[in-house]
Amino acid sequence: MKGMLGLFLLLAVVVIVPVAEYAFAAGDEPGEYVDRRVLIWNLFFRMMTVAFTVGAVVSGTIIWLILRFRESNPKAKPTPYEKEGVW
Amino acid sequence: MVLELQKPRPIWQIMFSTHHTDVGLLYLISSLAFLFLGGTLALAIRAELFLPGAQIIADAMTFNRMFTVHGTTLIFLFIIPFASAVGNYFVPIMVRYKDMAYPKLNAIAFWMIPPAGALIWLGFADFTWYATPPYSIISAPGPAADMWIFGLKILGISSVLGAINFIVTILKCKHPDMSIGQVPLLAWSFLSSSLIILVAIPTFAAALLMLLTDRLGVSGFFNPALGGDPIAYAHLFWFTFHPEVYVLVIPAIGMMYEIIPRFSRKPIFSYGSGVFAFVLLSIVGFSSWAHHMYATGMSFTEKTVFMVGTLAAVPASAMHVFNFLATMWNGRIRFSTPMMWAVGGIALFFSAGAGGVVNSAMPLDFSTHDTYWVVGHFHLFVMGTIAFGSIGYLYYMFPYVTGRMYNEAMGKIHFILSFVGTVLVFFTQHVLGLYGMPRRIFDYPPIPEWIAMNQIASVGAMIIGVSMAVFLANMIHSSAKGTPTDTDDPFGLGGKYYYPFEARNPHH
Repeated sequence: MKGMLGLFLLLAVVVIVPVAEYAFAAGDEPGEYVDRRVLIWNLFFRMMTVAFTVGAVVSGTIIWLILRFRESNPKAKPTPYEKEGVW
Repeated sequence: MVLELQKPRPIWQIMFSTHHTDVGLLYLISSLAFLFLGGTLALAIRAELFLPGAQIIADAMTFNRMFTVHGTTLIFLFIIPFASAVGNYFVPIMVRYKDMAYPKLNAIAFWMIPPAGALIWLGFADFTWYATPPYSIISAPGPAADMWIFGLKILGISSVLGAINFIVTILKCKHPDMSIGQVPLLAWSFLSSSLIILVAIPTFAAALLMLLTDRLGVSGFFNPALGGDPIAYAHLFWFTFHPEVYVLVIPAIGMMYEIIPRFSRKPIFSYGSGVFAFVLLSIVGFSSWAHHMYATGMSFTEKTVFMVGTLAAVPASAMHVFNFLATMWNGRIRFSTPMMWAVGGIALFFSAGAGGVVNSAMPLDFSTHDTYWVVGHFHLFVMGTIAFGSIGYLYYMFPYVTGRMYNEAMGKIHFILSFVGTVLVFFTQHVLGLYGMPRRIFDYPPIPEWIAMNQIASVGAMIIGVSMAVFLANMIHSSAKGTPTDTDDPFGLGGKYYYPFEARNPHH
């Protein structure tokens, strides 16, 4: 349970805090000059860089899992649960 | 309880039955019928957008009617009833009870769907699935609009009745020996989504009544000419329908939780984190509705609150993805058709979620608001995640329902074509949105990039259409003439992965 909560907090910090920080970059306080178009596209590219990086890691992991743990892989071996017959 | 189709009975016995598997079967057949109807409209829409100018649809009004009924059908008449089909079939078995808690109420909830579907299809309203005010109040043609409102009203009541039934069945009717911590994750997903329905739907029910009285001219809640505010409708609508996104996606994830451990030949990596993520999603789903309205002049503080509220769903969703990946790790995975759909659904779920993070960042939302980016984003969720999980589960439950095996090769062809088609349509629509193409338009200027992207998307849609034809042929043929199967282990996985053994609820 502790590990689970730790994982959740870590994910929350990694995801929410940076994006909240970006949000304040929108800056609509009076008198402040912000070129929103430049800002938004800059933000978009930064976020897409993060999204593509994380996406590549997760997608790569999925593809590796599919190839490595498919039952037709020569390295595949029965799981401990198969020996017990219940899962 | 299984083999509904192997022991033929008169159709009226099934239609007037209150047994959970019979009602589940009715839900299943009706939802699939509406899947094909709604999908046909999607093909027509994509064919129309293949080139600028009018192609096969006569005018913009007809186009508006088609995408309104397309969206309404696939969300309310396919996805939700399909989840109800699965829940009806398996939740009582999973909690080891003889039936749903209120069988007659269950049958009534189903029988509300056909008349509601008829109202929506015979009316063929044109004001989008959002019933956009003030257009929907002032000038949307009746009786189509009124029929849509009544149809949605009936569907809302049906959802609430179904939700009450699931909650009582899971919490009060589960076997005394079974603690809530032993209830399978699929049943947990129904518990979570049912609780969301109970909280969310009444708001939209009220909004529909207000919309109707506005149309009748006896009130002006959303009519600016009478001092009303269309943005108030937006709040009421999205207070229901952002959480509704989780009502749609949570059961699909629950279905993946059934498929992935079975075919990985391992128990789920972390049952606790699955439950935690379901409960968390059902709570944070209510903290994000206004992210649909960043462009309506909300204050900066409000926008920030809803942006953070939206992002709170990311860790919960990621927990599901990591749980699936960790379950597959060190497994011995058989990639039968259900597993292919489930794994494809995970990949697309992640892609859709990544697009959603971009959407929820309010400065970016101004760039993508009401463009095809949004269309691509939510379709990737609805088709790529929810439909993939659902169709995977349909293949998974097929032997238990029919006592026969579907054609595995056709199932895999169905998956491959659907996956390729989904990527072509909905990834391309994201890019199209960045090129600035607005959503809900009948015609578009002949900008080369727009034409190319639309053509790619339309080809993708046709590929999905072909895959669905393969699916239909497989289901019909295999139901009648498929190879009879061993219902204790139809996928040949070995072992005693559970529910066929408990699947012995006699008809009553």
